[in-house]
This record gives sequence, C-alpha cells and structure tokens, in this order.
Amino acid sequence: MTTKRKAPAKGAKATKRTASRSKNALAGRAAMAVATSPKRTVKQRVAAIAETPLTICESDKDLQAMLNLLRDRNEPIAVRLAALQSLQAASFSVIAFEACRGDYIATLREVVDDPDPELRQRVLGLLAREKDGFAQKKLIDGLEHPERALVPPEKALQLLAYDVHAEAYAVARDVIRNPPNEDSRREALRLLSADATAAPIFEKLLGDKNELAEIRQLSASALQALRPEKLQTQAREILLDASDYDEIKATSLTALTQFGNEESVANDVELRNRVDEMAATASPNVKQSARRFVDRYSK
Amino acid sequence: MVGEAAGDPDRHGQLLELLREEHPFYNDRGTASTVRMRGWILATLARIGLPDDALLFVLEELDTGVDPYLVAAAARALRSYPAPRAAFAPLVMGALANIRYRDERVSFESYGAYAVGLNGTTPVAELLATLTWLGPHARAILPDLEALRHGGGVARKYAAQLDAAVAAIAAGDLSGEECCTLPRGLGAMLSWPLGTRRSDDAVAQIVLEDHDGNEIAFDELFRGHVSIVVFFYTRCDNPFKCSLTIAKLARVQQRLEERGLLDQIQTAAITYDPAFDVAERLRTYGRERGLRLDAHHRMLRAPCGLDALRRHLQLGVNFVESLVNRHRVEAYIFDRQGRVAASFQRLRWNEDEIVARAVEVMPERKITFPMVGTLSSLALAFFPKCAACWIAYLSMFGIAGLSQIPYSPWLKPAFAILLLLNAATVWLRGRATHRMTGFYLVSAGALALLSTLQFDWKSAAVAGVVLTMAGSFVSAWRRPVRASAATRTA
Repeated sequence: MTTKRKAPAKGAKATKRTASRSKNALAGRAAMAVATSPKRTVKQRVAAIAETPLTICESDKDLQAMLNLLRDRNEPIAVRLAALQSLQAASFSVIAFEACRGDYIATLREVVDDPDPELRQRVLGLLAREKDGFAQKKLIDGLEHPERALVPPEKALQLLAYDVHAEAYAVARDVIRNPPNEDSRREALRLLSADATAAPIFEKLLGDKNELAEIRQLSASALQALRPEKLQTQAREILLDASDYDEIKATSLTALTQFGNEESVANDVELRNRVDEMAATASPNVKQSARRFVDRYSK
Repeated sequence: MVGEAAGDPDRHGQLLELLREEHPFYNDRGTASTVRMRGWILATLARIGLPDDALLFVLEELDTGVDPYLVAAAARALRSYPAPRAAFAPLVMGALANIRYRDERVSFESYGAYAVGLNGTTPVAELLATLTWLGPHARAILPDLEALRHGGGVARKYAAQLDAAVAAIAAGDLSGEECCTLPRGLGAMLSWPLGTRRSDDAVAQIVLEDHDGNEIAFDELFRGHVSIVVFFYTRCDNPFKCSLTIAKLARVQQRLEERGLLDQIQTAAITYDPAFDVAERLRTYGRERGLRLDAHHRMLRAPCGLDALRRHLQLGVNFVESLVNRHRVEAYIFDRQGRVAASFQRLRWNEDEIVARAVEVMPERKITFPMVGTLSSLALAFFPKCAACWIAYLSMFGIAGLSQIPYSPWLKPAFAILLLLNAATVWLRGRATHRMTGFYLVSAGALALLSTLQFDWKSAAVAGVVLTMAGSFVSAWRRPVRASAATRTA
C-alpha cells in the first residue's frame, strides 16, 4: 500500500518538474528572441538578457547566441556587457555550466583586446580569476610594453596577483623600481607580498618613516606573511619610537597581539611598559589596540 | 629545440630529458610557460610515437593533471603508444572525471598557442578518443563510462563520441588480460638494494626546522630509523598533489599505528617552499589534513639546504624565483642510515604499498654490512674441506708444523650449516631486491658442495665454489633497478 501511495506522488512531482522546466524553457526562448533581435531597443534587449535563465547551457543554440552577442563588435556595448554578465552568472553553477565552459573561456579570450575598455577589463578579470595563462601573458606583455597594454598597469598587476604562480614577480619589481604612478607601485608591492624573497623590500619600507602610511601597513602585512619574526622586531622598534604615526603603531600592536612570540613579548619589560603607557594616553585608535595587547600579555 | 629533436630519431631521448622537472629549461619560468613547454613536448611525442621511457610522464599527467592543455596532450600522446593496455584505462577514466569541470578548448597548432574562439580540441574529446583507442582493453571501466553517459556526467555535445567509445570497448572481450598492472619496468617505484644506496653524507649536516620551529640535522633525524618521506608545499594548487600527499601521509600514519609501528617507522613531510612555509604554516597545513605531528612524525623545511637536498635526491621540482613552478609527486623510503632505499614517483602512491615497502626495509638492520653475503661465500669457498686441504692450506701459508692437526669430523655439519646460512642471507637480499638470480646460483652451488661431502666429486666441488661465489656476487652487486610494476586499482 505504501508503495502504491508513494508512486503517484513521485510521478506527480516529476510531472510538475517537467512542466516547470518547459515553462522556463519557453520563457527563456522568448527572452532570447528579444535579446538577439536588432529591431528591439537596447534597453529592451538588455532587460531580456537579464531574464534569460541561468540554465542557458542546456540549449546549445541559446548558448551560441549569447556568445555571439558577446563577441560581435557591431552589437551595442550595453548588450554585450549584459551578455557577459548573464554568462558570468550562469558560470557560477559549475556543474550545470560544465558543458559550456570550453566555449565560454575561448570566447572570453577572443574579446580580451576589444576596443571597449570596460568590456576588456571585465573579461580580463574573469580570465585572470581562472588563472588563465593566455590572459596572464597579455597582462605581462602590457606591463613590459605599455603601448600594447589592454588595461592600466595597476589593474594588470591587481589581476596578475590572483595567481601566485604567474610569472609576474620580475615585472612587479620593475614597476617598483620605475613606477608609472603611485597606484601601480602599491599594486606591485601587493603582488610581491607573496614572494618570499621580497621580504627585505618590505622591511625597508616599514622602517621608512617618510613612506606613505598605506604602503607601510601593506609592508607590515607582507612581512607578517613572509617573515613574522622580522615583523616582531620592527614592530617593537616602532612602538618604542614615540615619533611614529598612529596607524603604524596600531598595526604594530595588532601584529604583536595576534602573532607575537608569547614568551619574548611577555618578558620584554621595556615594551610592556611602553604599551601600558599607550593604553592610558594614546589616541583612541592606538589606545584600543594597546588595551588588547595588555589584555593578552597580562594573562 | 623540441622540433629539431623530434625530427632526428637519434635525438628523441632529448625529449625525455626535457620532461624532467629539474631540467634547466624550466628554471625561472612561470607555471603557465612550464605548462606550454611540457604540453608541446607531449604533443610532439604524440606525433612521433610514445616510447616506453616517456610513458610514465604521460600517465602522470592523466593521474594528477589538472591543466586542460597538459591532460589533452597526454591523452593524445598515449594513443601513439605502440599498443593499448588495460592498465591505462583506469588512469584515462580518472582523468575524465577530474578534468570535466575544466574542459577548456586547447590548441596544438603551434608552440604556445591558446585556443581562441571555437577552434581547437578539448581534454574531454581527447580522453574519449583515447578510450575508443583502448577499445576492449578498457573493459574494466565500461560500467563507470556507462554511468557517466546515463548520469549526464559529460556534456551532450560529446554524446556521439561517448557512444563510439562505449561501442569500441564493448566490441571485444579481453577479460583474460590483467586489469591494472602497468607494463613491467614502467612502474612508479624505484628500489635500491642495500649495497647500492648512496650515502647521505652530502646532506647529513643540513639543518631542518620542524613544524614547532625546532632545529635538527638531517643525519640526526634520519639515521637510526626507517623513514617515509614525502615532499609538498602549502601553496600548491593541484588538489591531487600536495594536499592529497599530506592527507595520504596521515593515512600512512594510521596504517603504522594499526600495525604497532608508529615508533619504529618515522614519517616526514618536507616542503619545497622553505622561505614561505614557516613553522606555523606547516603545522596548520598538516593538522588540517589529519597529520599526526610529534618528535617521530614531523613537517620540515630546509631554510638553507633545499638546493643540496634537490641535488642529493634529484627532486623533480623547479622554480620561478623562490616559488615552485612545477613538481612531481614523490615519496621516499630512507633506511636506517638515512639512505634512499626506495622511491615512489609521479603516480599517486598507495598507502599500503609504501608501508609494506618500509616494513621490508626494517629488518635490514640485521645485515649490518652489505658485503656480508659475498664475504661469507668467499670464506666458504676457500674453507678447507678435507684433511689434505688443511695440510695444503697450512703448508701454503708456511705453517707446516700445524699440519699435524687432525681432520675433525665435526667440520662437515659446521660446513653444511655455513652453506645454509649463506643461502639464507642471499635469499633475504633477493627478497628485498626482488631479484632471486643470486639465490638460485648460491643454492645450486650449495647442492654441488654438499654432494662433494657425500661422494667426493672433485669437479662438483669446483662447480660448487664457482656457483656460490657467482651467486654471492650477483646478490651483492646490483645497480638500482625498477621494482616490479606498480599496481593500481581501478
């Protein structure tokens, strides 16, 4: 009896699911018809693309139509960007998108040198997140030969930093030596923060009071990852130096509180006295970090 | 360079050399460049035919590869191997399961080419073509392939290719063929018999730092215990290499615990990336993968000695600046003197197999001197076996006065016991090295010598001495050999 009762229920569920799928397919087809029609306005087409289902991969015809919209330089850029967004949303569902992935990535590669800078940058961003060798090659080439650059240097460095295995350390060092702008220098340093051999650069920057606070904070984070013992030594020096900036002091306090060598910090009377003083008299930001330090080491 | 080597049959061996990670060709190249270079070599092998020596590199890519270009190139190259084998099928099927979520288009039109637009091939297409090539040899994986077909595990665009592969596999029956054993000599395990192992002197004084920041010299750590040693690094982004290696090492530790061997066989995981993998990072990485960490089981970095370790162990790794750009899967068994007794390379190793090999290395402590078999045989061969021999020997050495020592009847059983002891020693060595020729020769010699005790056959005595000596030499002198083929399960 139980089996009999279950069977129709299962059947009904399946029928409902099939009906829902057909309904979605119909809606999807209608949306695709509008999206690809040059007779419609750009606004209508963009709206239709936004309504295409995430399961676009189930129809090879729809997928190819969407990829064509993306690669066709004669289409309005708003439509192409909408197509890219739709494909990107569908790609989040890794299993459902499996069948389309090859064509999707190959099409993205096809448009990396598109005349539209926004499309170019977004496509390079998507490929860089996939650690795509083709995109990395283009980005490095643009940094080495600025006349061939597809995106600004700071953006290229930011995208290359997605993959620690990219061949980008040498070019990042070149940018630090001869930065085209301050943002590029910052992004190059961020990229090098994964390079263990770059620790001396960060030591120097952290100890340089003439350096920007942002760069010194970035250097502290990099040192924490690469040479925690060096950061501890430098953080101590910064805290004992009354003339240093509050942001740097707060960063140093946080580093010592979170990652300091418990025994050496606890036995460092000079440092602890200095932090006690800060906890009572420093600016609110530093005071808060100093109290956390005191809480940890007083235990 | 690759093209020139491919065009000249005498230089095909160079292509094989170029597949070794440690080749200077890969120094300071990024991972993407390394992938293009290796993929192009594999694609070249696919054109000129895959030799036995390069097979392991191709199987490695199928087993642990995650890059679409390399997997597609390996699948192509395998089809140029002289004959399909059943042992390839599980690896091809495994590659299909691994790569189907990264099924990107790839191009083999020219070196360094990327597929742009809708041209090129894909790793899934290449793997399905390889399964079709395997045909009935892939019978063991047919149920998995059919499950993939019915479960929609492969994109619909491959339906025709998938059907063709299933039809080709189902077309014949080679059920007599052994499923999962690689061709002999092509296994991923290398074994060094006792007398042929290289001393660890070159690295003995290297200081290693463990997961707690304790420093210990290489010889202090590895001498005195049999050790299972693996290599990895925490920034490795191939889930089938470093992360899996450490998880498998944790399972090795469980096996050792089950067999009560945790205190007798130690384990160590050494990072390729000592500048980045500081103690805390090592500890966290190991613990997250279930690794037991204590004085006997450590994660290690060699802050100043990685180059020496690379040279000593000929590690399959290369770098772009300080970062690994490519490495193979590699695990070693060190004997009690810190020398390499066995290594498992390229293919994913099996936990039980590595524990079994380490256990085999353990009793070697009883054979403290590698030449013991040879020397005992020599002593035995020249041992005086009759009263006349005693006189001759003693006269020969100018001690004529001692010729009056009477010949003792107890010498016969003592002599027989010595013969048997020698045969047993050689048998033990033969078992450890998987080479029994020496034992067979020594056994024949022993039989001949024993027969002389009974029948006084002079010619048999000479033959016995020669056979015993030859067997002992064969047993003691041996180059490193590939052990019996690595076995894999489907």
